[in-house]
Amino acid sequence: MPITILQPALVPVHSTRDESYGSESDSDGGVDLEGDISMRPAKRARRTGDDSIVTPGEQRQEPATAHTQRRTPPAIISSVAGTLSKTNKLLSVRPLRARYTPEIGDLVVGRIVEVQAKRWRVDVGASLLAQLPLSAINLPGGIQRRRTETDELQIRTFFSEGDLLVAEVQQLYSDGGAVLHTRSLRFGKLRNGVFMAVSGTGGGGGVVRAKRQTFVLDVGRAAGGGGAAADDAEKIDVVLGVNGYIWVSKHVEGEGAAAEGTGPGITRIEESVGLNVYSSQNDAIPPGTMREIARVRGVINALVEHGLRVDEEMVITGYHEAVEMARADGDGEETLYLGGERGKRLADTLVGR
Amino acid sequence: MPLDTSTYNLALLRIDGRRWNELRQLRGQIRTQAAADGSSYLEMGNTKIMCVVTGPSEEGKRRNQGASSASAAGSGSSTSASATNAADILVSVVVGGFSTVDRKKRARSDKRIQELQATLAKSLAAVLHTHLFPRSTISLSLHILSQDGSLLACMINAATLALVDAGVPMTDYLVACSAGSTSSHSAADERADPLIDLNNQEEQELPFLTVGTLGASDKVVVLVCESRVQVSRLEGMMVAAADGCVNIRAYLDSVVREKGHRMVAEGAVEKGASMAMDIDV
Repeated sequence: MPITILQPALVPVHSTRDESYGSESDSDGGVDLEGDISMRPAKRARRTGDDSIVTPGEQRQEPATAHTQRRTPPAIISSVAGTLSKTNKLLSVRPLRARYTPEIGDLVVGRIVEVQAKRWRVDVGASLLAQLPLSAINLPGGIQRRRTETDELQIRTFFSEGDLLVAEVQQLYSDGGAVLHTRSLRFGKLRNGVFMAVSGTGGGGGVVRAKRQTFVLDVGRAAGGGGAAADDAEKIDVVLGVNGYIWVSKHVEGEGAAAEGTGPGITRIEESVGLNVYSSQNDAIPPGTMREIARVRGVINALVEHGLRVDEEMVITGYHEAVEMARADGDGEETLYLGGERGKRLADTLVGR
Repeated sequence: MPLDTSTYNLALLRIDGRRWNELRQLRGQIRTQAAADGSSYLEMGNTKIMCVVTGPSEEGKRRNQGASSASAAGSGSSTSASATNAADILVSVVVGGFSTVDRKKRARSDKRIQELQATLAKSLAAVLHTHLFPRSTISLSLHILSQDGSLLACMINAATLALVDAGVPMTDYLVACSAGSTSSHSAADERADPLIDLNNQEEQELPFLTVGTLGASDKVVVLVCESRVQVSRLEGMMVAAADGCVNIRAYLDSVVREKGHRMVAEGAVEKGASMAMDIDV
């Protein structure tokens, strides 16, 4: 067999960008943000720049300090890949991507996966299923009604497997499991729309925690003469669950998640609770509204694809931008395609590149 | 074709032109699947593997069916104990029919694949912080697209990358590398050299083992040897493999860092606190 001598493959050169991300260069301007720790200038060289990340197994602090009791206190070692955050003396790493971790007060969109005797199990994209007890929902026929055995027997008439709902995290267990509640008109069953899942808070891109997670998008003016005259049909509800689940639906006055703020009177509340809060039947949705719902979905997909955050501002400006693009391109206003080149153009416009 | 390992002694170069301590070309990517919790693609020479991680998640009622024969659940010693206190790790390996030169139909219950699954599940359970996710499941799915030796090592490395992408906390990277010994069992002892990162040809000819270490340390997490090796050569092989692991870890780390830098630059992740190391304890 002839000997063939190939050029040996280079052992890959590992980027030493960490060290090159100037240890000195990051102190040349601005306010010293970690002034609350030590006000003297950092004498020791800084290890990392602003946009550096840590990876599992990376040691963040040398174990040896003289004035602690243990001779070698345990080193601080990162266990996930992400960026460092520091709260006084607490070091933590925000992972580049992770599943959603529930926190009390989060507005989440979830899907029922299991119905038990007195509660539902809800998939909210966390590592554990969330619970929704029967006692934590609004029952039809008056808010302050007692839960009876009849309600337990017909638990499936409220929510059954596969139903989508918007809820708030009410309580957390020590293992990280969440308990939800829907005891407000803002929460409840979802219909008349489309569901999408992007990465939630804590994962790169996707939905971020904001002042408002739900909003009404006025598409009547933007899309200009969509045809339908009724102003209900000209609005779209968007629910950005903190967990990364998103619901885009037709706006129904006085109902649904976005009805916050402009709450109807007490009598209206009882009426709507009694009538169709737990209905699974979609209303009639005009084609124009459907088209705009699909456009909003396209905008959110484009945002996620290009690693931009998904919040009220981005979605609204993105939507208007998309309408403009559809108009300008000459393909007609009804063009919804926002993938590929168009998605990139949209993202570029949004970040001002 | 009979493999002529005697050529090694002439030029001290292996069949593919490497020296004894050189790795094949590594190429890795993370976050290849947008829909998955974590995903990776790793090439070690011509061994190419894709890994997808789902979880940690609780699977509701379907749970017991999912953990059937195709997957190996393991957390250290006993599976049942882990079900309550820590996350289960389910591994399923799919060997592409096109991955070797001869197209073979493999049964799902292939004993070799099952053993690979079990090895992977147990070693990952030792490294991941599964206790943070009680009652949930981390499932890994590995697709072998092309095989050319060092299969287990490449699988472990691909799984590690995908788990880092999924944000599952771990003690350190679990990296693996294979090592062999130049002369076969019966040959003269003194001329044996350890070789690392064997390809398929070398694996068929030479005794070899796979070592998985915890990051750059020399803590051995995985050690698999299925061939007969003289015990005097074992140490040299293990040291050489551990050395290869250090290089592989550095490469995997650079893959993760590069992706992380890109994400920070794009603004997908918030910037880290500018981290002065002068915290007084």
